[in-house]
Amino acid sequence: MNPLTPHLPKPPSFISSSKLSHDQSYHHHMSTNSDPSDTGATEKWAAKLLQECAEAISVKDSSKIHHLLWMLNELASPYGDHDQKLAFYFLQALFCKATESGERCCKNLASIVERSHSFESARKVILKFQEVSPWTTFGHVASNGAILEAMEGETNLHIIDISNTYCTQWPAFLEALATRNDDTPSLRLTVVATVGMGGSVMREIGHRMEKFARLMGVPFEFQVVRVATRLGELKEEDLGLQEDEAVAVNCVGALRRVGVEERNDFLHMLCSIQPKVVTVVEEEVDLTSSRSEFVKCFKECLRFYGVFFEMLEESFAPSSNERLVLERECSRSILSVLACDENGGGDCERREKGSQWCARLMEGFSPMSFSDDAIDDVKALLKRYRPGWSLRPAEGDASGFYLTWKDEPVVWASAWKP
Amino acid sequence: MPIDPEAEVVALSPKSLLATNRFVCEICGKGFQRDQNLQLHRRGHNLPWKLRQRSTKEPRKRVYVCPEKTCIHHHPSRALGDLTGIKKHFCRKHGEKKWKCEKCSKRYAVQSDWKAHSKVCGTREYRCDCGTLFSRRDSFVTHRAFCDALAEETARVSAVSNIDRLTSINNVNHHFTDDLMRSNMVQHFPAIFKPAMADGQAGEHPLPGLSLWMGQRPQNYQTLSTDSSLSSMHQMGPVSISTLYKDPFASCSNAQNLDSQLSWIYSNKLASSSSVELTSTLIPTSLKEANLMSVPSLYGTQHHQQSMPASDKSATALLQKAAQIGATSSGPSLFGSLEMKCHNTQVQDGGKYDGLLNPNHQSIAATMENSLENIASDITVSNPYSDMYSSRHQMAQKNGTAGGETRDFLGVGIQTLCPSSVNGWI
Repeated sequence: MNPLTPHLPKPPSFISSSKLSHDQSYHHHMSTNSDPSDTGATEKWAAKLLQECAEAISVKDSSKIHHLLWMLNELASPYGDHDQKLAFYFLQALFCKATESGERCCKNLASIVERSHSFESARKVILKFQEVSPWTTFGHVASNGAILEAMEGETNLHIIDISNTYCTQWPAFLEALATRNDDTPSLRLTVVATVGMGGSVMREIGHRMEKFARLMGVPFEFQVVRVATRLGELKEEDLGLQEDEAVAVNCVGALRRVGVEERNDFLHMLCSIQPKVVTVVEEEVDLTSSRSEFVKCFKECLRFYGVFFEMLEESFAPSSNERLVLERECSRSILSVLACDENGGGDCERREKGSQWCARLMEGFSPMSFSDDAIDDVKALLKRYRPGWSLRPAEGDASGFYLTWKDEPVVWASAWKP
Repeated sequence: MPIDPEAEVVALSPKSLLATNRFVCEICGKGFQRDQNLQLHRRGHNLPWKLRQRSTKEPRKRVYVCPEKTCIHHHPSRALGDLTGIKKHFCRKHGEKKWKCEKCSKRYAVQSDWKAHSKVCGTREYRCDCGTLFSRRDSFVTHRAFCDALAEETARVSAVSNIDRLTSINNVNHHFTDDLMRSNMVQHFPAIFKPAMADGQAGEHPLPGLSLWMGQRPQNYQTLSTDSSLSSMHQMGPVSISTLYKDPFASCSNAQNLDSQLSWIYSNKLASSSSVELTSTLIPTSLKEANLMSVPSLYGTQHHQQSMPASDKSATALLQKAAQIGATSSGPSLFGSLEMKCHNTQVQDGGKYDGLLNPNHQSIAATMENSLENIASDITVSNPYSDMYSSRHQMAQKNGTAGGETRDFLGVGIQTLCPSSVNGWI
């Protein structure tokens, strides 16, 4: 069925001139493709072509690379259907990998994002995302439950927040603090901001948090600690810890931003802070093997983002701008993982699976189980979204639990104590 | 409830309080939850008339105390008159919460509470001050924390507290920063935004100041606590604030006020190193004059105590400088104008906060996207990635011939773009 061979002058015959399906007709209206008959009749054509291209790159088959890149370019579109989108975003990465221009590309993308990034835009995108999908709120609810339980009875709380969700976790936490019992503890929130998180945005977020805490009647302090280069360089003394406070470290989508080689040291540093609890939430995919095993890493990356894009498509309305922004943000991640060096490309994005994190965390921490209440809260959360989501406890060597989308684990949440 | 000194104080133990069958038939010993049920049952025993009356009359009113020692209702003066009431109180406050809502997992000790909640759970709608309705409490809470409407409300309500005083300084500084910038920069921005002051509209506070501050970010490790930056401003602030309060709308026209405000800003900015940033960045749209109006009494006395910050720059020189800064940063200006478009829309359509439904908002999002694409094409002209794009748009037909034609697809061909890296294996 697939007569794709190198040196083939015409596009292979498996791409027939079939008409667009009804679903795609809307997207075609927006698509930049000039010819509707380009759309493949077969399903999952993008995955096939992309993998072939990745393999061609790994063996340095230049003519095949050219040919495949050309074909993907023809078919890809960020406004098209699922395959077209995957083709588009992965094509960028493959191109940069082939031309070794990954770092430059990443920097350009980063500066585009920085220029367009504002509090309003970030707020709009993330709140909408949280409304239609539990992808991030799952980790929030689980972590809040673990932190509340670990801090039971404490009067001075200090939370070190290293996350990528712009403090959307904390309003619910503040409310819980205010309503749980008669003695409301005080909360200091230290947000560790990495390169991608704009200063003006973080400041505005801080103001909002302060105001909301006042409304809730929770004594509250907010500070931002900015990491100049890499998250792995964060040190205990940067955090402004005080005596007589109970510390919790909240890492949501954070540990992946530490360079792979620096991760154990980073965790060691966290351990030395002596926190009451460390909550870790990460996406369930292994992208650590980019340099050594490109094709393997590529396949994992493709699988994961395929699921993510599909989830986005099914969660948002078809014409959603927020979804488009989220998809674009993926392109930076994908580029960084596939086409950049360990140290280039800004924030590291090499995710690891829950079981891998567990192996690292076991060095200095022991797992903390979630209370029944916390688990019930998560279950109740999932009920509020469209069907397809569920909860699965981790098994074997791993602890914590997974958010699953159509039975595939996508996000992992866990809690640890030193 | 008036305390009846004649009332008999009954202190039941937790066990008896929670006992479900308190009313016991003296004839057969059967227990009942309610007295009425017991009386009904007793009729069945066919008692002679005399004995049909209650054997133990209860002439005195009974009040009940909570068995929990630490509870406020443990003391007879705070006893409750209703047995059911004290039972419910005890369960709610001190009891085990055995009943749990399925939808939201909220727990209840009293079954009737749980039932009542279950009926309404999920049906209740939460309305934010901005007008948006939510069916879910969690999304309501998160939205509220970030909502512009909140920013205004808390500032107005809690203007007297210490923390809020500092916050208000913050806001006020933003306020006349705006004025300053706007008066200089209005020519750089599209007419879509009009100075709020001039129209007397309370709703709009666009952000011309944003373009100035955009480039300023702390470069190294910095514990940027709001306290430190606020306190440094606090020193300088009240002077200008007091002048502002005399006539908040006069800042644009009053040269002397402008001078003092300018001198405050620039002396602060010039004097301090980058470690202290003016936190005048994004300002909640709904920051209104009411904000300032609520605070004046606080500063009435203060400005006497502080001296004017000295400045050798004339007002004209500073104005010129501000204009220069505005003119040279064209990139951020674009962003700044986009920012304000968003702001305007949000303020105008307070009732329809959910942007997707709002045609204005959508077109603005589209405008932003177009601008993004423009920015993208502008700055990535020399990048192979963008060459791919430009050639994609150029290509009207497929190139179906031999490998040499792939040069067209890539624009100039891979070789020319990256000579060093590519020659090796292509």
